[in-house]
Formats: sequence, structure tokens, C-alpha cells
Amino acid sequence: MNFELFIPNIVKIWTNYWRLFLIDGLSVTIKFTFIAVLFGVLLGTVVAMLKMSRFKLVRFLIGVYVEVIRGTPILLQLYVFYFALPQIFTFVKLSQTTWVAIALSMNSSAYVSEVIRSGIQAVDKGQTEAARSLGLSSGQTMIKVVLPQAVRNILPALGNEFIMMLKETSLASTFYLGDLMTQYRIVNAATYLGFETLVIIGIIYLCITFPLSKLVGLLEKKMSGEKSYKKHSKKPDFRERKFGKV
Amino acid sequence: MEEMIKTVDLHKSFGELHVLKGVNQTIHKGEVVSVIGPSGGGKSTFLRCLNLLEKPEKGKIYFEGEEITGNLTDEEKKAIKAGTMPKLPKVNIDIHRQKMGMVFQHFNVFPHLSVAENVTMAPTLLKKKSKDEATELAKELLNRVGLLDKYDDMPSNLSGGQKQRLAIVRALAMEPDVMLFDEPTSALDPEMVGEVLEVIKGLVETGMTCVIVTHEMAFAREVSNRVLFMAEGNILEENIPDELFGHPTHPRLQDFLAKVL
Repeated sequence: MNFELFIPNIVKIWTNYWRLFLIDGLSVTIKFTFIAVLFGVLLGTVVAMLKMSRFKLVRFLIGVYVEVIRGTPILLQLYVFYFALPQIFTFVKLSQTTWVAIALSMNSSAYVSEVIRSGIQAVDKGQTEAARSLGLSSGQTMIKVVLPQAVRNILPALGNEFIMMLKETSLASTFYLGDLMTQYRIVNAATYLGFETLVIIGIIYLCITFPLSKLVGLLEKKMSGEKSYKKHSKKPDFRERKFGKV
Repeated sequence: MEEMIKTVDLHKSFGELHVLKGVNQTIHKGEVVSVIGPSGGGKSTFLRCLNLLEKPEKGKIYFEGEEITGNLTDEEKKAIKAGTMPKLPKVNIDIHRQKMGMVFQHFNVFPHLSVAENVTMAPTLLKKKSKDEATELAKELLNRVGLLDKYDDMPSNLSGGQKQRLAIVRALAMEPDVMLFDEPTSALDPEMVGEVLEVIKGLVETGMTCVIVTHEMAFAREVSNRVLFMAEGNILEENIPDELFGHPTHPRLQDFLAKVL
């Protein structure tokens, strides 16, 4: 490798292919991430609730689901959804991208369900007891007392899940689905400048994950401890803020 | 005297540990009953059984005449099987709990709600009061315990003693018929014990029926009509305070008092 050409090569690749990275690749990566986390949260909420079900069989089945997903490599899951399932369910006509999106969503749902469950269980048991002793039903206790406190444990962890998922979508490049990592393979094949391309792609990933993880850290700090609960007063509308009380 | 709470042959186990071994006790309306005894003797479990925060496996609890555990005696089970007795309707414990206030060792105030909301949440949510009525009552009660100036504060700005006073007010806002206190001063700094005991004393003076699990012997002696000594899963001795503290008869109680007094 010629180190004298390293910087010029990077500049060259960037000027020739930046559209491929930023417009094509990054948008696919972000699309995958959003879809995976969005459905992961929706599905994960359901999974978390079922995991706390009063029926033993439901708890067991959900336990199996979560353990299988958390205990096998995500790449294996992608293979299953990309190669195996379309051959079994031939009547289901979905695009390859959709199969991968489903796989990513289900993977995310298992992790999110654990985040939600542990977030709820981290709320002091005394809170539930106090609410129940006042005569609130278990549903009212959950909505009025437990969830508002659990959200503070859950939200920052969901931010982390988003960051994790953003990186894991790179596995979609295995199937050439157009994400950032796929763009690396394309550019590498065209230029044979693999290392330089990887550096560029790595920096793009970092440009997103680093601020995000700082943000999550901030959120965590803001939401930890009893002192962090602020009186939620009605926000004055913008005229009041600008011109004082009208 | 009217019976408020009556327990019959109450049994509670945690796994292998048999904590309550057939407790029979009746608490009358207007009575103030303190429960003392060594740790692990079943005091707190007994109290927590009264509003079913712990569900006793066996035995019955009558609250204002109504059975609330849904537990059946062996004879009743046989009778239902034989068809000579109708199945009992399911008990809605939430309704009964609304009439039993409880105060915890660790306060358990709701940190995400303001002082005012801590007090008004349950009465408004459970449709006992309109928002205005609940606010009115909250102000009156907070004023009574000297917390009115904290009305809009968050609980994190309160001291331990203030939190416990808030917890008492929160329970009172449901206008309960009986108050259960589970070691209300055990988690407090010593200088804050007094203010909480004062509030409880004030409450007793209003004629509220109270069951108080406590390690404050002097307080128990001063404020109660009757003191129960619990150890080894049962009530080993009960009496009016002066007799129980002055002339303990059970050797276990004599031993306990010799150590704590």
C-alpha cells in the first residue's frame, strides 16, 4: 500500500462517490435502522407484556422466542429470513429487502422487550405497593405510577438500541441491499482502494453514532435520580415567551 | 364495640418459612393497636396481610364484616363440592383497600408527582372526589401536617420526615376507616422521628382506628389502647400498654423488653 497516496486517494474516492455513500448508502442504512427499531419497539412492547403474562405457557413461549433471538448470531437470523423462509412460505410474496427488514425488526424486538421489562422491574416495588394500598387496580398502578417512572430507564436504553441497530444493518450488505456497507463493496470493486473506502465509511458511521451516543449519555444523566423529576407546568405559548405575558 | 378487622387462624409462609402461624385477632373501631416484637416475628407480615399486600394461604380476614381473602375452610370446600353451599363471589380487594390507608417504612411517595398530585391522584382517579374537592382536601390535610408550603414542590425536595408526613396525608386523602402503619419511623433520621410521631398522635386524637407496627416502645405505650407482642409467628401476649410493659408474663416478652428498654 502506498501511504503517500492515502490522502489523495481518499479525496478522489470521496469526490467521485460521495453520492453513493451519503445519498444511496446512508439513506438505506437509516431506513433499515428506523424500520427495525420502530417495529422492534412496537413488537418488543407486546413481547414484554406477554413475558409478564399470568399464563405460564405464554411466558414460556415468549421466553423461548427471546432466548433464541438473543442466543443466535444476527447473521444467522438474516440467512434464515433471506434464504430459508421465502422457500418455505412460497406463497408470501415479499421483496428481499422486506425479509431482511423483518429479520432486523424481530431481532430488535427481543432486545427491546428485555429493555422494557427490566425498565419496569427496576421501579421500586414499594411504588406498586403504595399505589395498590390506595385502592388502585393493577392496570391503574401500571399506567399512573410504574410506567411514568419506567420510561426514564427505558428511553436511554432505546437510544442505545438504535445505535446498535444502525451498526448491525451493515450485515444487510451480505445480500447487497444497498446500505452503506454495500456501497463499500461496490466502490472497492471499482477502485481496488479497499482501505481508503473503509476509512470513509467508518467515518460516516462514526459521524452518526458518536453524537447519538453522547446524546444518550446526556439523556441518561438527565433522567437519573429522584431529583430529575421536574414539576411539569404548562408551557407558555411562544408569544408569552417572546413578549412576556399577554 | 364494632369490629373493624378480624383475622381468623391466619397463616402465611414464604417458601419454607412459616411466618404467621394461625393469628387470631380482632381490631375494633376507634382502637389504636400497636404491634411490637423482634424482627422476623411476623409483625410486618401480619399488617401487610390485613390489606392483602401479602396473601395469606389459609385463614380469613373480615374487614367491616366482609370476608376479603376468599380463602375457604376445609368444611366450606367440602360443602361447595357437595353442592350444599353456593360458590362465593370473587372479592374485589381494591374497593376494600380504598378504606384502609397504609403507611410504609420507606415512605414510597411517588417521585414523579408533585406533593399535591401525590395526595389528589388516588381520590380523583378512583372517582371518590372531583378535582376541586380533592384539591381542597389536599390543602386542608397538608396544612394539618405542616406541609402546605410544599404544595407545589416535588418530593425530592422533601426531607425524610416530610416525605413520611406526605405519605400519611396521601393515605388520609382516601378518607379511610383504618390506618395501617408499617414501622413508619424506622427509616428516619433520629431528629425526624418526633415530627412523624406527632402527626400520628394527632391522627389518633381524631378517633381514627390505627394499627401501628413499631419499634418505638415509648410511643406505643403512650398512644395505644392495646399492645400486641408478636414473635415466632403469633401473638404471644396482648394487653393494655401499662400492663404489657409493666407486668409482662410471657418469658419471650420479658426477654424482649429487657433487651429493648
